Amino acid sequence: MKHKNKVFTFICIIFLLITVLLALMIGSYQMTPNEVLQTFLGNGSKLQNFTIFQIRLPRTVLAIIVATALGISGSVLQGITRNPLAEPGMIGINAGAALGVVLWISSGTSAYYSALPISTVIFLPLIAMVGSLVSVTFIYFFAYKKGISPVRFILTGVGVNAGISAIISFYQLNMSKGDYNQVLTWTNGSLWGSNWNYILLTAPIIFGLAILILIRSRVLDVLSLGDELATGLGVQVQKEILFFLITASFLAAIATSVAGNIAFIGLLGPKLAEKVLGGNYRTRLPFAAGISAIILVLADTVSRNLFAPIEIPVGIIVSILGVPYFIYLMIKEK
Amino acid sequence: MGIEIKNLQAAYEDRVVIPCANLTIPEEKITMMIGQNGCGKSTLLKSIARIIPIKKGEIFLDGISTKSISSKMLAKKLAVLPQSPIVPEGITVKNLVGFGRFPYQKALSGLTKEDYEIIEWAMNKTGVYELRERKVEELSGGQRQRVWISLALAQRTEILLLDEPTTYLDMAHQLEILELLQKLNEEEKTTIVVVIHELNHASKFADYVVGMKQGEILFKGAPKDVICEENLRELYEIEAVLMKNETKGYPVCVDYSLLR
Repeated sequence: MKHKNKVFTFICIIFLLITVLLALMIGSYQMTPNEVLQTFLGNGSKLQNFTIFQIRLPRTVLAIIVATALGISGSVLQGITRNPLAEPGMIGINAGAALGVVLWISSGTSAYYSALPISTVIFLPLIAMVGSLVSVTFIYFFAYKKGISPVRFILTGVGVNAGISAIISFYQLNMSKGDYNQVLTWTNGSLWGSNWNYILLTAPIIFGLAILILIRSRVLDVLSLGDELATGLGVQVQKEILFFLITASFLAAIATSVAGNIAFIGLLGPKLAEKVLGGNYRTRLPFAAGISAIILVLADTVSRNLFAPIEIPVGIIVSILGVPYFIYLMIKEK
Repeated sequence: MGIEIKNLQAAYEDRVVIPCANLTIPEEKITMMIGQNGCGKSTLLKSIARIIPIKKGEIFLDGISTKSISSKMLAKKLAVLPQSPIVPEGITVKNLVGFGRFPYQKALSGLTKEDYEIIEWAMNKTGVYELRERKVEELSGGQRQRVWISLALAQRTEILLLDEPTTYLDMAHQLEILELLQKLNEEEKTTIVVVIHELNHASKFADYVVGMKQGEILFKGAPKDVICEENLRELYEIEAVLMKNETKGYPVCVDYSLLR
C-alpha cells in the first residue's frame, strides 16, 4: 500500500512537470524545451524572459494554486456531504464569489484585470470571499434543521446557485457589450488576468488552509462512517462540519476570485484521486490537488491555443473534459 | 462502569420522546431494552451516547455527569454501535477497525505499536482477524456486524452500547452476535446495553431487562422476574404464552396473539 502511494506520487509529479513544460512551451510564440530550460537558467533573450516570467509562468503557477484550492475544496465537500456530486461550483459557493466580484468590477471600473488599480487587486479576493461566505451562510441557514443534513445542504446549494446565477445574468443584461464579454469570460472561469500580484496574495492563504484541512483530515475519515458513529468516536459532528464547510468555502472563494467560476475541476480531481487511490483523506487530498492541477494546466494550455489568438474560458474546456467522464461514471456505476 | 440516568428528558426538537426517565443500568452486566417501535428505547441509548442532546436531567457514568466530559473522553468510556453505520467505499476490515483508535490519536500522529496490538486483539476477539485484508462491503451481514463490534472494542471502553445489532441477520447469525456479546461480557467485564426486538433473545441473553412504552419505563429487572404475561400484555399489547427453560429457568415465549 505504501509502495503504491510512492509510485502514484512519482507518476503524478512527472505528469505535472510535463504539463507545466507544455504550458510554458506552447503559445503564440513557440519555444522548445531547451529554450525554456535556458531561460530558467538565465540565458533567455528579452522576449523569452518576458514570455516565461511575465506571462506563462505566473499563469501556470496560478493554475496550480487554483486547482489545489478547488481540488481540496471539492474533496472536503464530497466528504462531509457524502455525495460525489458536491462541488464548490455546483452548490453556490463559486457563484456567490462570482456575484461579489462581478458587482465589484463593474461598479468601480471597466479596466481589465492587469490594469486594475492595486487597491482593487487587493480587494478582489476579499470581495470574492465575502460573496462566497454570504452564499454559504444562506445555504447553511436555509438547510439548517436541527443540525445540517448533507442532502438538504446540497439541494439548498443547488437552489441558491440557480438564484445567484440568475442575478448575475440579470446584471449582465444591463451591461455594455465589452463589459458583458469580460464578465462572461470571468463567470465561465478563466486564468486570463494572472500576474504575480495575485499569486503572492492567494498562495499563502490557500496553502495555509490546505494544511489546516490536512491536519484535521482524519476527522473526515471518521465522518464518512455516519454522524452517529462519528459522535460515538468522539467527533463533535456539527462543529467539524462547520469547520470544513468554512475552510472549503474559503478555498473555493479565493480560487474563484482569481480564476472565475471554473466548474467541474473540484469534481474531477477528487473523484479520480478516490478511484485511483482510495484510502484515507491524508493521502487522498494531496492527490486530489495534484490531479486537479494537471487537468487545469492542461486545459488552460488548450484554451489559450485552440482558437488562438482568441482565448476561450478554461472552465469551458474543463467542462468539455468533464462531460465524457461524467457519462463514463454513469455507465460504470449502475 | 455503571450508568445512572436521572430525570432524563429526551426530545427531537420539540417532540418529547422520553418525558422523564430514571434508570440505573447495572455494572458489568448485559442489559437489554425492549418495547414497541417508537417507544423511546433507541432514543434512550442515543442520549447515553450523547448522539442526541439531553433536554433535561443528567446521565452519570461512575458518578460523573456526561455533560462535564469532553467528546473524546466520553469515547474512551463508552462505545456505541448505531443501527445503520455507513461503510466507506473500498475500506478494508483492519482499516475500519482502526477507526476505533481515533479517540486516542493526536492530530498528526499515526497509529502506534500499541494501537496496532489493540486492533489485532479486537479483530481476534470477534473472529474477523482472517478477514482483515478483505473489503468490508464484500462481507456478509453477520461478518460485517462483527467488524463493527471490533471497531467498538478497539475503543477499549468499559461500556458498549448497541442499537439493534441483530436486525437483518438470520437466526444463526443473530445467535452468533449475541453469544459474542455474552463472551465479551464474561471475559472483559464490559457493561453491555442492547436495544433489541426479539423478546426471547432478551430473555435468554440479558441479565437485566428494561421494558419501555411511550417513553416511560414500564418495568426493569431480571428476565425471570419481569418477563411475565401481565407485563407483556401491557408492553406489546399481546397475549403471550410463556414457558420456562428447564435448565436455566428463563422464560420463553412460545406463542402470542394480539389482544382482543
